[in-house]
Amino acid sequence: MIGRALRATLIALFLGAAAASAADSPSSAQPPGVLLSRQLAARARVSVGDVVTLAVDANGARGMMVRVAGIYEPTPDPMRFTAQRLEAHMHLPDLAALVADSADPAARELASAINVKLVDAHDAGPFASELAARAPGVIVRPTSRTRDDDPFAVLDRFHVAISAVTVVGATAFLLALMVIRAEERRDTIAILRLIGISRRSLLTAVAIEGLLIAVMGAIFGVIVAVATESLVNGVFQARYDTALVFVRVTRSIAVRSIAIALPLGLAAGIGASWPLLRGQILSLFRR
Amino acid sequence: MPVVEARRVTRLFPMAAGPIAALRDVSLRVDAGEYVAISGPSGCGKSTLLHLVGCVDQPTSGEILFEDRDVAVLSEAERSRIRLMRIGFVFQRFFLLPMLTARENIELPQAEAGAAAADRRARTRELLEYVGLADRADHLPSQLSGGEMQRVAIARALANRPALLVADEPTGELDEQTGEQVADVFDRVHADGTAILVVTHNPALAARASRRVTMKSGSLVS
Repeated sequence: MIGRALRATLIALFLGAAAASAADSPSSAQPPGVLLSRQLAARARVSVGDVVTLAVDANGARGMMVRVAGIYEPTPDPMRFTAQRLEAHMHLPDLAALVADSADPAARELASAINVKLVDAHDAGPFASELAARAPGVIVRPTSRTRDDDPFAVLDRFHVAISAVTVVGATAFLLALMVIRAEERRDTIAILRLIGISRRSLLTAVAIEGLLIAVMGAIFGVIVAVATESLVNGVFQARYDTALVFVRVTRSIAVRSIAIALPLGLAAGIGASWPLLRGQILSLFRR
Repeated sequence: MPVVEARRVTRLFPMAAGPIAALRDVSLRVDAGEYVAISGPSGCGKSTLLHLVGCVDQPTSGEILFEDRDVAVLSEAERSRIRLMRIGFVFQRFFLLPMLTARENIELPQAEAGAAAADRRARTRELLEYVGLADRADHLPSQLSGGEMQRVAIARALANRPALLVADEPTGELDEQTGEQVADVFDRVHADGTAILVVTHNPALAARASRRVTMKSGSLVS
C-alpha cells in the first residue's frame, strides 16, 4: 500500500525525463510505482503515468526506471514551510533496490529515518519506548510533542501576547471614541439630567450603546478577518509553495473575540460617560 | 400652600480670588397656582435662585423646601424624580433634543416617568394642541421656528403635569410678537392652576405675573 510506503527524502535526487524511451522499452514488466510531491512533479515537468529514471546520484548513475503512479500534496509542515518539498514516496523494497550498490554493501542502509503512522496516535509514546527497547541503537521518538516541548506552543503564546496588546490598543481606541461621543453629547446629557432623566436611565442607555458598538466592532473585525483569510493564505502559500494554512479564523476565535468585546465595550461606554453622569448639571452646559 | 419655598438661602461660588456670593440671604415663596416673575439686572442672581428653586443646585446655606420637603436631605435620585414629576423647565435656548421630533421630545419625560405608550401618545397630542403645534408633531427642532421650539419646550415641561413651571428668560431669544405668543401660553398654564416662576428681562411678560419681585446684587429688593 502506498499509504504505508516508506517516505524517503531523497537528497540530490536525480529524476530523468526518460518517459519516451521507457515507453518504448520491450520489457513487459511494469516499472515500480512512485508518488511524487506536487513540487517535484512540477519541477521535473512530469505527470501521472510517465516513466522516468530515478537515481540517488545527482548525475543519474545507478538509476532505476519508475512509473509516476500519482502526485500528492505534501502534508504541510509548519517546521519546514520554507523548505522546498521535493519528495518521492515509494515502497521499501523499491527504495532498497534503488540505493543498492554492489561496491558498498552498506548502501542498503542509507535510509536514515522511517516514519511510522500509528492507527491510534496516542500509542506513540508506548510504541516508541517499546521499539527503542527492542532495537538498541535506533533512536525512536514520537513526532507528537508535549506542550512544553512543542515550539508551536511558544508561537501560540507569542500570538496570545500579540492578541493581548491588540486588545489593549483596541480598548484604548474604543474608550477614546466613547469619550469623544460623550463630550459631543455633553449638552444633551445636561438637558436630560435637568429635566429629570435619572442617572440610571442614562447609564443604561450608555451601556447599551457601548455594548452595541463593541459587538458590531467585533463582528466587523471577524468579517474582515474571514474575508482576508483567503488572501493572506493565498499570498503566503504562493510565496512558499505550500498548502500550509497560515491563517484560520475558527468559530472559537470569533466567539472569544465577541466575548472579550462585550465587557470591554460596556466598561468603555460607562467609563467615558461617568464624569458627565457624576458631575454637577449646571457645570455640563457649555457657555 | 407653598409649592416651593427658599428660606434665607445664600449661594457662594468658589473662585481662585475668593468666593463670590451669587445670592445673599434670599427668601422666596411660591404658592400653588401662583404666577411670580423675577426681574433684575444681569448677574444679580436670578438664574441662580431659579436653579435652587428648581432642585438643580444646592444652596451654600439656608433651606429649599419643595412641597414641604427639605431638598438638602434628598438624594440625587430623589431630586431628579422631583424635577421629572413636579417641576417643568423652560429655558431661553429651548434645550430641545435635536435628534428627536417635537412629539418625541414631549414623550421623553413621560417615558422616563413610566407612562404607558398609549397614555404618552394621548398626552402628547393633547399638549401639542394646547400649544398650537398639532401639525408640527413630527418635525425636528431644526425644522421649527424659535417660537415653535419654545412652545414645544413648554409642552415638554408640562408633560408630567408639574406643580411648578420654572422659566429662565423664555422670551429672550424671540421677537416681540413671538414672545407674546409664548406669554399667552404661560397665561393659559397659569389659568389651568400650575404655579409659574419666571425670570425675565421682558417687562411685558413680567407684567402678566400675579406677583413681581426684583433682585439686585444677589438680594431681593422688592
